[in-house]
Amino acid sequence: MPDGPLIVQSDKTLLLEVDHDQAAACRRAIAPFAELERAPEHVHTYRLTALGLWNARAAGHDAEQVVDTLLEYSRYPVPHALLVDVAETMSRYGRLQLVQHPVHGLVLHALDPAVLAEVTRSKRTAGLLGARVDDTDVVVHPSERGHLKQVLVKLGWPAEDLAGYVDGEAHPIELAQDGWSLRPYQEQAVEGFWHGGSGVVVLPCGAGKTLVGAGAMARSSTTTLILVTNTVSARQWRDELVKRTTLTEDEIGEYSGTRKEIRPVTIATYQVLTTKRKGVYSHLELLDARDWGLVVYDEVHLLPAPIFRITADLQARRRLGLTATLVREDGREDEVFSLIGPKRFDAPWKDIEAQGYIAPAECVEVRLTLPDHERMTYATAEPEERYRLAATASGKNGVVDALVAKHAGEQTLVIGQYLDQLHELAEHIGADLITGETPVRERQRLFDAFRSGEITKLVVSKVANFSIDLPEASVAIQVSGSFGSRQEEAQRLGRIMRPKADGKTAHFYTVVARDTVDQDFAAHRQRFLAEQGYAYTIVDAEDLGDLGVAR
Amino acid sequence: MATFTGYLRARSDDELVALLVRRPDLATPHPATLASLAARATSRSSLDRALTWVDALVLQVVDAAVVLADEGAAPTREALLAAVGADDADGARDVDRAVDDAVALALLWPDDDGTLHAAPGLADALGPSAAGLAPPATHEADEPDDPAALLKDAPPGAAQVLDALTWGPPVGLLPPTGTPAGDAVAWLVRHGLLVRGDGRHVVLPRTVALALRGGRTHRAPALQPTAAGAPVRDPRTVAAESAAAAERTVRLVRQLVARWEQQPPSVLRAGGLGARDLRRTAQALDVDDAHAAWLVESAASAGLLADDREEAPTFVPTLEADVWLAQDVPQRWAVLARAWLASTRTPWLVGARDERGALRAALDPELTRPWVPRLRRAVLEVLAAAPVGAAPTGDDVHDALRWRSPRSVPPRAAVDAVLADAERLGVLGAGALSSAGRALLAEASGRPDLGTPAHGPVADAAAALGADLPAPVEEILLQGDLTGVVPGRPSEQLEELLDLAAQVESRGGAVTVRFTADSVLRALDSGLPADDLLARLSTAGRGRVPQPLEYLVRDVARRHGRVRAGAASSYVRADDPALLAGLVEDPRLAALRPRLLAPTVLVADASPAELLDALRARGLAPVAEDASGTVVHAVAPERRVRARPRRTDPVHERPLPDRAARVVATLRRASSDAGSDAPASAGSDAASSPAPGAGRGADADGASDVDGTGAGTVADRVRAVGARRPAPGGRSRPAPAGAAAAPATGVAGTPEPGDVLVVLREAAQSRAEVWVDLVGPDGRPDRRLLRPLRVEGGRLRALDPRREAELTVAVHRIADATLADPTTP
Repeated sequence: MPDGPLIVQSDKTLLLEVDHDQAAACRRAIAPFAELERAPEHVHTYRLTALGLWNARAAGHDAEQVVDTLLEYSRYPVPHALLVDVAETMSRYGRLQLVQHPVHGLVLHALDPAVLAEVTRSKRTAGLLGARVDDTDVVVHPSERGHLKQVLVKLGWPAEDLAGYVDGEAHPIELAQDGWSLRPYQEQAVEGFWHGGSGVVVLPCGAGKTLVGAGAMARSSTTTLILVTNTVSARQWRDELVKRTTLTEDEIGEYSGTRKEIRPVTIATYQVLTTKRKGVYSHLELLDARDWGLVVYDEVHLLPAPIFRITADLQARRRLGLTATLVREDGREDEVFSLIGPKRFDAPWKDIEAQGYIAPAECVEVRLTLPDHERMTYATAEPEERYRLAATASGKNGVVDALVAKHAGEQTLVIGQYLDQLHELAEHIGADLITGETPVRERQRLFDAFRSGEITKLVVSKVANFSIDLPEASVAIQVSGSFGSRQEEAQRLGRIMRPKADGKTAHFYTVVARDTVDQDFAAHRQRFLAEQGYAYTIVDAEDLGDLGVAR
Repeated sequence: MATFTGYLRARSDDELVALLVRRPDLATPHPATLASLAARATSRSSLDRALTWVDALVLQVVDAAVVLADEGAAPTREALLAAVGADDADGARDVDRAVDDAVALALLWPDDDGTLHAAPGLADALGPSAAGLAPPATHEADEPDDPAALLKDAPPGAAQVLDALTWGPPVGLLPPTGTPAGDAVAWLVRHGLLVRGDGRHVVLPRTVALALRGGRTHRAPALQPTAAGAPVRDPRTVAAESAAAAERTVRLVRQLVARWEQQPPSVLRAGGLGARDLRRTAQALDVDDAHAAWLVESAASAGLLADDREEAPTFVPTLEADVWLAQDVPQRWAVLARAWLASTRTPWLVGARDERGALRAALDPELTRPWVPRLRRAVLEVLAAAPVGAAPTGDDVHDALRWRSPRSVPPRAAVDAVLADAERLGVLGAGALSSAGRALLAEASGRPDLGTPAHGPVADAAAALGADLPAPVEEILLQGDLTGVVPGRPSEQLEELLDLAAQVESRGGAVTVRFTADSVLRALDSGLPADDLLARLSTAGRGRVPQPLEYLVRDVARRHGRVRAGAASSYVRADDPALLAGLVEDPRLAALRPRLLAPTVLVADASPAELLDALRARGLAPVAEDASGTVVHAVAPERRVRARPRRTDPVHERPLPDRAARVVATLRRASSDAGSDAPASAGSDAASSPAPGAGRGADADGASDVDGTGAGTVADRVRAVGARRPAPGGRSRPAPAGAAAAPATGVAGTPEPGDVLVVLREAAQSRAEVWVDLVGPDGRPDRRLLRPLRVEGGRLRALDPRREAELTVAVHRIADATLADPTTP
């Protein structure tokens, strides 16, 4: 159409004009196959990737639909080469299938013998494939199901896994929906996952990913292994499951550094699974300890490499990945795709925010001009020392002071990377400090106190990045971060995104030292959030007093 | 019987002009007489050249004409049509066109009675197996009259053997004896249906093949391939993609020129651009090396870049580039496109290795091929011949090109490269010829009828592109993440602003840009103050500049200019500030523009030597120092230049119709002069060219004097000689009445070799006998009656009927040749 909301660029990005009448319809139409890359205020950018297109194929969309959608909403004629490429890419998915053969067991079945020939000739499949059954089938060693899928994605011929799953040991699980119920998008996410068999659900922080996990468990009603990032997170999963499902404390086991319980529902940390003793992973027996019917991966974008290897051996079990972002700093998105499964559900943050399920947030970057002596130290420092120097600039204490004072009475988190700085800050503003060294018991106590409003200020190190639930934190002040990690920024913002009881706007401050690498890293980290539509306001530390007026 | 020369002589001026335009080699060098024109037109090289550029159907027609003439009489047009196999009306129309073409090229010529004769020498030029037939039998063999009837009794397999050979090639491998196939072949040989070749091969005799072909020479006419199967693109898509590509190319060339203006790459010793410079350019333009090579070549072809021919030569933008830069996108594109179409450069060879294994560099003077412009145009013509919007594949185009000139098929790689270039340039859009491309072709070939129906006959490439370019957009959507989106093609001003102050992230229907500290700094560096930049952004952004962007600009502006740098040619340093202050104020030094940078440092705009001289003149005793502060004694630098060879630019020459017309006028004058002396002997001449004047002796130079005598027929020549000599026609016999143009008579003097050749060729074709004056090794002339068989490679092969011997004579030993009087053999 001549004035559609979509502009298709030759580099496979799609630009969606948000203020257009048809923007909403167009967004729904392109969401299945295009990855939202950034969503600032006027024009949202989506990208067509091979993985995205295969995700769409896995969800039952065909190339014709994709092409029609592009043509329907595009303002200008769509580059012909792009349409050809879309059709070509999509046609590659599913030409190979993993199926159960009545006689030979697991086989790789090709709808196109030429593709099978190409794949079997490749060096990378050597050792993964067994005997050739006929022109279109070749035996796959069941243990290599995952590796084969990984390799096939790399070869550009992703296989459709139709070999089914083991049922696993049945265990009754029900959602206890007393006074609450799954939100519509959560229902959709569970449905999407279950229908697809295995895969990843992408939801913003605070949008209730745990409940999607619980929903999937109820749907499965089997023994379940839940893999989470750390112990605190494990406890939160346990509490949430006890509260939201018919499961009791006795049915849920924790498998961590401190406790090694194996129960019908077991929550294990990545850390313990990847612990090596004398060069071998000593806790892998957990995976075979029960006949798990479902494996849930929390924060799938953080999945460490060894877990990928383990997951490759779990291909016969249903796998659910939960994450806020598919962006991985290490670029291993394709392994998530091949080993956990295609994306099954996705909703842009802003949409969910608009539905009122997560809190609106305001982000402010405060730029601090370093005093001359610090600038000189910085200018002459070794490059590897520079970030630390800039990030821990002493002037930041004053800025934090001002911000804490401004939000007096609100639940405030101060987040940082460097322990010295955090100790100093905690002392400076008179707040408790949680770091990796803080015992779990103490952590729990402080979190509970913070949750209950007993204390309003808390200084945390990066242990708080993941999976801690601080429902009433409404102000976060970031003083330093892991260099330019975008996903860390997203996680930290996620801390304050849970809906507030009073529906207040959350505040996210980043304090950076001007004209230093700190500023560059901050820019990189913000990019992710700015792209999600959270525009940053930048103020000078000197103008902090006027902030109220500025807003 | 008429002759080829006579036929040419009877052509009107316009027809001759048309011939010279179609066969430009005939006019270069300038032929003096119609006879030498005829000689040239029947020479092997000229015929080969003409055959090279005829299409498959014309080749079939001339093949058929030669074969039919060999088999009996020269065919009529109808007979030709039947022989080629034009059964339906469409086929007949095409074949008719091919016959007309062959006649227009003087490959065939029609007799008065409508039969078509092949030009003398054509049979030789076509080679021994014209139409896939064996050469005509040299002696009468006992070949069966009706092979089809004979085949009834043939052993199994015989029919298949004949089937395989019927339509050529006529030579087959002899199967081993004892096998069924061997027996079949043996049977066929026994019955004269096949002939033994060289022991391992058998040949299907021409008569048998023709009988099996049912009297035809070809199975079916080779009709022009149509791109009917090619996908047809939406005209909107074609226009959009072509416009996008054109705009991109213009933009990239602009960036290329701007970049080379700042950092001119040096010229390799062999001429050309170094691989490293090419890669750097490619990276700067964000394209691959091959694309960059093409851009560089295109810009150079358009005269925008050139070797500056300095001591250390570099490639720099030309003055023309400034003119070009000032134009609008469509005009700029047209300059590039026209230059591309006419260029002899082969950019696709850049990066490949030559015969010596060296890398071929871009702009290497050796990368020219004279046939490239013709290929480009041929490719575009093929595309223009396809339906509007059709996007033929490389295979389709190559097939069509093969049909157009089967004797000179362009290399596939070159065709693909031309198609790729055309796509990059926007001459194609989504694989189909765009209206701009069509206009470009129309303009280059002077055929406005090629313009698309949609736009009417647009013959101006720039205007056609202008119509396809989307309307420029003045507005940019600025966003909080420091990006901006122009939802369309940015206008010139906006493009310039974005070039200056932002970094382009993606292009296509829209342009997305990102503002970074570096890009803003670039804008400030170019002299745009922060406030102006914000004002311009605000205007373009409908008054909305997001806070982070404004902050970014202000923040960069704050840092901008903290450090300053400048140029000075020399300096003075001294420990005495008062002394330096005095120097700055000294009017005698004012010309050196001295100024203080610090109390003890003074800089000046003069060379150190000048400065030293000036200081000495002022009575100071300065010493020079080098970079490390060591005192040095200044020595005048030695300067030398390298003598460089002159490069000559290739001469661009193309026989234009008016040039051809001048040639024809001269020819006419020469022959009509001759004709006016002897009107009676050349009736047809007189009819076609009434004698305009008679003062030939006065206006013709020496060469044409001699040539002039050979004009037209031998009879003419004799008359002409007569005009010059007091005793004309001494040895000539009178021409028979009625056979006006027949070369029936005479021999005289030393004629032009070309005339002799044409007489011999005509005789060879018509199997006539000729009186030949041979000069023996002792210089003595010897007059013999010969039957020429073939004239080739400077030799005459002929039969001496009286001595019953065949002889071969070098043509330069033949002093003269005259047709023996056919009436008195």
